[in-house]
Amino acid sequence: MRIRYICFGSQLIPLVALFFLLIPFSKSFAGFEAPPDRNPSVMITPDKQFDYAENLFSKHDYSTAVMEYKRFIYFFPEDKRVERAMYQTGMSYYLGGDFKAAVDSFQKLVDEYVDTGYAIKSYFKISEADMKLMAFDPAIINLNNLITVTNNGDVRDEAYYRLGWIYLEMASWEKGGQYFSKISAKNKDKYRLEKLAAELDKEKLIPKKNPNLAGVLSVIPGAGYLYCERYQDALIAFLLNGALIYAAYESFDAENPALGGLLAFVGVGFYAGNIYGAVTSAHKYNRKKTGLFLERLKDNVKINLSADVKNKGVCLSFQFGF
Amino acid sequence: MKTRFGFIICCVVLNVFWSSAFARQENNLADNPKRLHEASEKQGSPLLYPLKFYRDYISGSDGDRCPMYPTCSQYCMDAVKKHGSLTGWIMCSDRLMRCGRDETKLSAPVWINGEKRNYDPVSNNDFWRQ
Repeated sequence: MRIRYICFGSQLIPLVALFFLLIPFSKSFAGFEAPPDRNPSVMITPDKQFDYAENLFSKHDYSTAVMEYKRFIYFFPEDKRVERAMYQTGMSYYLGGDFKAAVDSFQKLVDEYVDTGYAIKSYFKISEADMKLMAFDPAIINLNNLITVTNNGDVRDEAYYRLGWIYLEMASWEKGGQYFSKISAKNKDKYRLEKLAAELDKEKLIPKKNPNLAGVLSVIPGAGYLYCERYQDALIAFLLNGALIYAAYESFDAENPALGGLLAFVGVGFYAGNIYGAVTSAHKYNRKKTGLFLERLKDNVKINLSADVKNKGVCLSFQFGF
Repeated sequence: MKTRFGFIICCVVLNVFWSSAFARQENNLADNPKRLHEASEKQGSPLLYPLKFYRDYISGSDGDRCPMYPTCSQYCMDAVKKHGSLTGWIMCSDRLMRCGRDETKLSAPVWINGEKRNYDPVSNNDFWRQ
C-alpha cells in the first residue's frame, strides 16, 4: 500500500508541473484574445497620398483636394509628381471658384518651373482666372510674359490667340486683330483665322448710339431717351419735366417764390437726371449690342482651348451656330 | 418777370454750390451693397436725411413696391455716397424716372425674397465715367 502511494506521488508532481506549463496555451486555445493595439499606425506612401488627393479631385471635393495636394507637396517634396500636385492645387482652386487663390497657386508653379508643360498650362490658367476676375490687364501681362519666356512656336501662337480674344472682350477690335495676325502661317487654319477675320469685319455693323447726341437731344426732356429707344422713359421724362417747369413758372408768376424755388430745385434735378440718364442709356445700349455681337462671335468662331494635362497636349473644339 | 427768372437762376446756382459743398468724392468703395449701405448710414450728407426719413417712416407703411434692386431709396443713398450730393441727386432723379418702365425689360432679373426684381446698381449707371 505504501509503495502504491509513493508511485502515485511521483507521478503527480510532473502532472501538476505540466498543468501549469500548459495554462498559457490553454487560454489562447479557449478563445482568449490578446488586447488590441491602442496606437495603430498606417504608413502613408507617396502613391497613397497622391491617389487620395486625385480621388478627391475627381469627386469634385476641391477644398479637401487642395489640402491633400498640399500635404503631398509638404511631405514628399522630392517626388517627381510635385509639379503636377502644384498644378492640381491651382486647378482645385480654379474649379472651386476661388480664382484669386488659383492665380497665386499657378503663379508659384510658374516661378518654380519656367518652361515645362505644366508651367505653360499654368500661364494659360492664370490668364483665364484673371479674366474671371475681370482683371484684363494682369491677364494680358501674364500672356506677354509667356510669349517672352517660351521658345515653342505653337505655345506662342496660342498666347497670341488668347490675347486677341482678351482685346475683343475689351471691345478693342483693332488690337485684337493685330494679335491674331501675329499667329504663324502654319496655325492659321487651326485657329480658323480666315473665318474670324470675316466675322470681325461685321463689327462695323453693330448698331450704336452716340452718347453725346443723346445728351444734346435731352435739352428737350425725353428726346434723349427716345433716341435710345426707351419710349416709356421718354414719355415720363417729358411729362414730369414739363409739369415741374410749368409749375415752377406758375408759382413765380403767382407771387409764390418759396414754392417756385422748391419746384425749381426739384425740377433742375430731374432735368439734369434726364440728360444724365440719356447719356447712360446710350452707353448701356452700346454695351449690350457689343456684348451680343461678342457672344455670337464666340459661338461661331472661337476655339475652346482646354489644357489636357494627361496627354500633354491641347484639345481643340469648335462649334458653329446655324 | 426778370426778377422771377433771376430768382430761378439763383436757386439753380445755390443748388449747385450747396451740393458741391457737401460732395464727397469717394470712388474707392467696392460695389458691395451692404458695405455701401453701412457707409451711407454713417455719412452725414444732408441729402441722406430725407432719404433716411423716407426709408424709416414712409416706405414701411407705403409698402415694399419698388421693382428694382437695389430699391430707389437705397440706390440714391449709394449714388450720393459714391459720387457726392450733386451727381448723386442727378442720378437719383434719373433712376426715379426710369424705375419700373423700360429698365424692367433691359436689366437682368434677380430674385429677392422670392420676388422678381431688376438689377440696376449704381455701377450699371456710372461705368462709362470710370
